[in-house]
Amino acid sequence: MRQLFAPGADALLRLALLTGAACLAALPVVGAGLVRSSYVTGVGVAPAQPVPFSHKHHAGELKIDCRYCHTTVETQATAGIPPTHTCMTCHTQIWSGSDMLEPVRASYAKDQPLVWTRLNKLPGYVYYNHAVHVTNGIGCSTCHGSVTDMQLTYRANAFEMSFCLDCHRNPEKYVRPKDQILNMTWTPPANQATLGPELVHQYHIRGGERLTECGICHR
Amino acid sequence: MSGALNPRAGLLGADEDFASIGRAVTGASARTRSRAWWIAFAGACGLLGVFAAALAWLLLNGVGIWHNNNPVVWALDIVAYDWWIGIACGALLTSATLRLSGAAWRSGIDRIAETTAILAAAAAALYPIIHLGRPWVFYWTLPYPNTLALWPQFRSPLVWDAIDIISFLGVCLGLWYVGLLPDFAALRDRAFEAVQGEIRETDEGRGRRRRSTLLKAQAYGLLALGWRGASTHWERWLLATRTLSGLALVLVVSLQTGASVMLSGSVLPGWHDTLLPVTFLAASLLSGVGVTAALTVLVRRALGLEALITDRHIALLARLMLGLGLASTYCYATEIFSSLLHGDAYDRAVLVRRLSGTHAWAFWLIVVFALLPVQLFWVSKLRRSGLVVALVGLAAAIGSFGDHFMLLVVTLSHDFLPSSAHPYSMGAWGLATLAGSIGLFLALLLLGLRTLPMVSIAETKRFAESHPDGRPSGGPAPTLAETAEAPLWGVSAEFDEAGDLATAVQALKARDFGARIETYGPVPMSRAADLLGRPAGILPLLALGAALAGFAAFMALCLYATGFDYVFDVGGRPRFSWQSFLVPSVSFGTLCGGLATVLALLFQNRLPRLNHPAFAIPGFVRASEDRFFLTLEAAGPRFDPARIEQALARLPEGRPLMVRRVPL
Repeated sequence: MRQLFAPGADALLRLALLTGAACLAALPVVGAGLVRSSYVTGVGVAPAQPVPFSHKHHAGELKIDCRYCHTTVETQATAGIPPTHTCMTCHTQIWSGSDMLEPVRASYAKDQPLVWTRLNKLPGYVYYNHAVHVTNGIGCSTCHGSVTDMQLTYRANAFEMSFCLDCHRNPEKYVRPKDQILNMTWTPPANQATLGPELVHQYHIRGGERLTECGICHR
Repeated sequence: MSGALNPRAGLLGADEDFASIGRAVTGASARTRSRAWWIAFAGACGLLGVFAAALAWLLLNGVGIWHNNNPVVWALDIVAYDWWIGIACGALLTSATLRLSGAAWRSGIDRIAETTAILAAAAAALYPIIHLGRPWVFYWTLPYPNTLALWPQFRSPLVWDAIDIISFLGVCLGLWYVGLLPDFAALRDRAFEAVQGEIRETDEGRGRRRRSTLLKAQAYGLLALGWRGASTHWERWLLATRTLSGLALVLVVSLQTGASVMLSGSVLPGWHDTLLPVTFLAASLLSGVGVTAALTVLVRRALGLEALITDRHIALLARLMLGLGLASTYCYATEIFSSLLHGDAYDRAVLVRRLSGTHAWAFWLIVVFALLPVQLFWVSKLRRSGLVVALVGLAAAIGSFGDHFMLLVVTLSHDFLPSSAHPYSMGAWGLATLAGSIGLFLALLLLGLRTLPMVSIAETKRFAESHPDGRPSGGPAPTLAETAEAPLWGVSAEFDEAGDLATAVQALKARDFGARIETYGPVPMSRAADLLGRPAGILPLLALGAALAGFAAFMALCLYATGFDYVFDVGGRPRFSWQSFLVPSVSFGTLCGGLATVLALLFQNRLPRLNHPAFAIPGFVRASEDRFFLTLEAAGPRFDPARIEQALARLPEGRPLMVRRVPL
């Protein structure tokens, strides 16, 4: 045994070093990808619900107004989940014998609310107010996506802080005229660059400086 | 030269030569296989257990268990952090300064000082993490592309601490590891000798081969990264260690004054003082040197290295402590005097609270443990007593804890408003955490004592006389089949003195043998390197460039983040507050410089290289002990081994002990 290491040892060591370096470099990339993936954020994943309610059918095809069910969206912090009574206003009359609607009728009969699986949930330390947003030029679809196209409802956006800040820093890119708030297919018009600042002024939105203060969302 | 005038006198036992130094250090760890080591290790592990319990309780309950309150938001956590990092800085500064100034007496203590620095920094590194309310998101203090669309607050000392501690560990580990490379090579070669001994014995029919012996040698071999001790390698090694020392010096000063300028930049009485950064630095230097001195005495005693760490080393450390103690005394006295002379009422109130308040013990701890004991070192006899130096060193560290406690807690517990005064008392869990961090330090130290050379073999040998014995190393010659028929890598000649080696280089260099000349040895061979031509000294330039680039990049990052991407009004501070970004930028710059130095050293030396023809030179294991090898590597058609052997045999003086053909 003339040498401590065989001639192949160097190749092995280099391979090990390169593998180690590659793993080290890959770790943050994989980590960053993972936290942004829909596996973690749940974007685009429609969870099982007690009743396969279709927003596309009700709000899209039948054109029922959002506020028919989400009654408090313009006045309160939460938009409101409709009680079973709201469903039964129609479904006592149509599809009243449908098997699919059996849980709804059972809920109505037992006077126990349907337990929906919640899609959008903010941390406890974030104070979000629907009324403030929808009465000041932010439409439903900006956060919730094109709900009227969703056969089963899924989360359209990961509500990470960067998502909120994107708009809070540049509200003029996202504000709409009042009559466009409920438009689920709204996209910024060609003149958003001139319209946006005007609307921001109209709504008395105090730009990035005020909207990015910590206390706006975290109290 | 008379003994009294020789700056190297008394730094090494009279009988020590290359071989005995190497054996003393590489064999020293065997002495830790004792009952005392296990008892100490069990004690340290017990403290580690306390640490684990304290951390578990902390995770369950939050930082309230330390009794931190408002206004004493920084209590034992930051006190302990500052204390540990002070020790680390003091120790690293000692090692770096001694190397840069070329002081011969660094030989016995630089490894110990660097180890102290790393272990103390490791203990310190935990505190910024665990004192966060949610330690599991500690990475929020680092700038990384996140989903929050936020940057860390670069004006905050929390971010400085995170960058500082990473940089400190990086530079310090770099300096320590580069210094260790030749020592690991020595350990590898001694372990390989043991392997070869076992092989010989097995061949002769007695004894048996143990796998663990080979694994140990290969483990040290991996750590040594294939260090061969070639003269060009040594030259670059010298450059690299000096460069890293320079970077460490910058880092220490930036880190210590950065932390203290942050305090003195505030308006709080007791902090708002231009002298504070100096006081801070002097006190932590004293504690760092104190702990280094105590560990030096411990290592000397425990590993039986009295010949390498002599009374003179101990005495010089004692003198250093005395000097730093006097500097510290001057700083404290000036602070008190200036408070009395021109301080306002709040300043004087802080002084009174320091001297006689609830936490007056902290001030008197400084006086009794840090400032008074070092005065013993006016007496020459006490300077030479290992026990006294160790005790005074530890006392200095305890006194330094008092300093950090007084500075933070006494000032914070009262400010200008009577309503914001709130008493603070140390909680049991805070003390348990501190004890646990000491346990971590001790446990790592004990493991280090057992596995690593605690005295730098290479540095010690540089100051040793070699005692040539004129006997060839007796490595088995390659068989005729290996050399006669197979292609040759080159011809090697073994010498037992660097002088003979240089003479031979000089004689052979002029002639064209169709071969590349290289020398290998256990220490830097300056004469041979002069003759062979030193490698271009590009390494420090690379390090400087990387350091400047790192500094500029980090500063630009901070300015972009706070000035453009996320403008955030912190108490009306300016948009471009570049001053507050200096500390992390300098730290990051030194880290980049340090990494560049280590990588450049390895790249220029073409390391790691585990298998190399030079390792096949008969007796080459002693190139890390006490032998020098001259090799002529075949490089061209004119290469003729017989002609080279003839030339070597005809050298007028300093003939080689052994000339061998080396197979490829």
